[in-house]
Amino acid sequence: MDKLLALALTGACGMAAAQTPATNPMPDGSRDMYVGLGAVSAPRYEGGRERRTAALPVLQVEWSNGVFVSGMSAGMHLSAQPALEYGPLLGVLAGRDDAGSARGLGGIDSGVGMTALVPPLSIRTRYAATRLTGMDQIGYRLQAGGFFNVYLSPTVRLTNSLLYGSGHERNGLRWSVDLQRLALPLATHHALSLTAGLTLANGADSQSYFGVSSAEAAQSINPAYRAGGGLRDAHLGARWNWALAPAWMLTSTLKASRLLGSAKDSPLTERPTNVTVSTAIAYRF
Amino acid sequence: MLLAAGAAAAQAQEGEWIGYRDAYRAMVVFEKYGKPKNLLQNHLQVMPREKGASAEGLQLTLSGKTIQLNLPLDATGRAVFPLLKAAYDENAALLLNRKAGLYAFRPRVSLALRADGVYEAPELRAGCEQALQYERDVDASLRTRKCVGVRFVFGRKGEPGVKLRRGEAEQQTLPAVEGAAFPGEPDEGFKTVGYRFAEGQDKGQVVTPNPPLAIAPLYD
Repeated sequence: MDKLLALALTGACGMAAAQTPATNPMPDGSRDMYVGLGAVSAPRYEGGRERRTAALPVLQVEWSNGVFVSGMSAGMHLSAQPALEYGPLLGVLAGRDDAGSARGLGGIDSGVGMTALVPPLSIRTRYAATRLTGMDQIGYRLQAGGFFNVYLSPTVRLTNSLLYGSGHERNGLRWSVDLQRLALPLATHHALSLTAGLTLANGADSQSYFGVSSAEAAQSINPAYRAGGGLRDAHLGARWNWALAPAWMLTSTLKASRLLGSAKDSPLTERPTNVTVSTAIAYRF
Repeated sequence: MLLAAGAAAAQAQEGEWIGYRDAYRAMVVFEKYGKPKNLLQNHLQVMPREKGASAEGLQLTLSGKTIQLNLPLDATGRAVFPLLKAAYDENAALLLNRKAGLYAFRPRVSLALRADGVYEAPELRAGCEQALQYERDVDASLRTRKCVGVRFVFGRKGEPGVKLRRGEAEQQTLPAVEGAAFPGEPDEGFKTVGYRFAEGQDKGQVVTPNPPLAIAPLYD
C-alpha cells in the first residue's frame, strides 16, 4: 500500500507534442487532474507579523507525456527510472506590495512546486502603514529552472528545485532542498506526508525581498539594509490527504518556516518564524 | 461542493476501495520495466492488514461509468490487473466486498509458474535475481539485499509433495511448513515449501506434483 500511495500522489501534467516518458504512469493520451477550492491562512508577507486568510484554488494536472502543473509550478518529468525524477521546472512567484504578498493556487502534492501566486479571490484592501509601506513593489516573477528528486525508498524522497528569475531585477536564484516522508498511513484513505528542508538564495534574491535600499529607507520606516545570499530559511511541513471517495479528496497543509541569515536580521522581518495553514477540497477529473 | 463530496464519501465508506488511477500508476511500472523479466509475473494483491482475515470470499470489482469487471482473486489475494485506458479516463474504482480498513492493495511480483511443474535450480535463482533487480529499481533501499531462495506457496489443505531432484537416483521431499505466502504478510495459514539456493552453482530440479499458488522470491 505504501508503494501505491507513494506513487499515487505524485503530481504531474504535459504538452501533447512532448516525448512520452518511459515510466509514463498513465495510458497514452490520458491525464489526471485535481481541481478544488479551499482557504489559506498565512502571514501577509514572509517575515510579517500580521496574518490574512484568503480563498485558495487548487489545481494539479498531469499528462501522459510527463508534463505537469502543480499549484503555481509547471514542469516535465523526463526520467525513465522509477526512483528518479528530474526535468525542467517553471514557477510563478508572488509579487509584493505594501499590502503584502499575493496568494495563489495550491497543489495536491508538494513535490516540486511552490504555492504562492496571484490573489485571485481575495479582495484587496488598504492597510495601515507597515514595514512594506514605501518599499518598492515587486511584481509577479516567472522563474525557470529544474527539479531533481531521488527516492531513497518508495516513501522517502529527497527533492531539489533550482529556480532563477525572482527579485527586482529578475536575477534572483533559489535552491530548495527537502527530505520528504511520503504517504505515512494514518488510517484507511488517510495519508500524511512530512517535509523538512532548507531554502538558499543568492544575494539578488535576498536583497530584493529582505534588503532596504537607500531610496526605500528614505521613504519608509526601515533603515537601509543590505541582505546577502546564503541560507534563506529552514522549514517543516505536513500534508494530510484524505481520500473521501475515488473522485474526492480533502487536502490540508501546515508549513512552519524559520527565516535565517540576513533574511532573519532584515528590518522587514517582524517575526522570523512563519506558519501557513491551508485546507481545500478537490475533485479528481 | 462539500455536500457532493460528503455524499460520495458516505457511499464509498460501504466497502473498501482504491482509485483505479492510483493502482494503475503502481502497476504500470512493471509493464514499463525494460530489464529482463521473462521469469516474473506481476499482480495486484489484496492483502489483509491483520491476522485472521483471509482472502477467501473476497470479490474485487472494477467499476466505472461504462465498465463493470470482476477481477478474480486467487487464494493469496492476487488478481491480474487490466491496464485499460477507458477505466483510467473514467476514473474508475476497484471495489472490495469488505468494509474499509481490513485490506490493503499492493503490487506483487512473483516467479512465473511452469505448466510442467519442473523448475531447474538455476532458473529459480535467475527468477529471484530478476525479481530483486526489479524491486531494487523501484525501491532503492533494497540495494544491499541478496537472493537466498524461493518459497513455493500452496493451499491450506493437502500435502505439497515438493521434491528436490539431483540426478536419477537422488531425490528428496522438501518439508512443508505453515506460513505466509509472501514475507511479512499476516495470513500465515498457507502450506509453504522453502528452497534455499546453494552456495556454489545451483544444480538439480525442484518438482511440484501439485501446482503451487505462487512462487515468492526470498531476499536476505
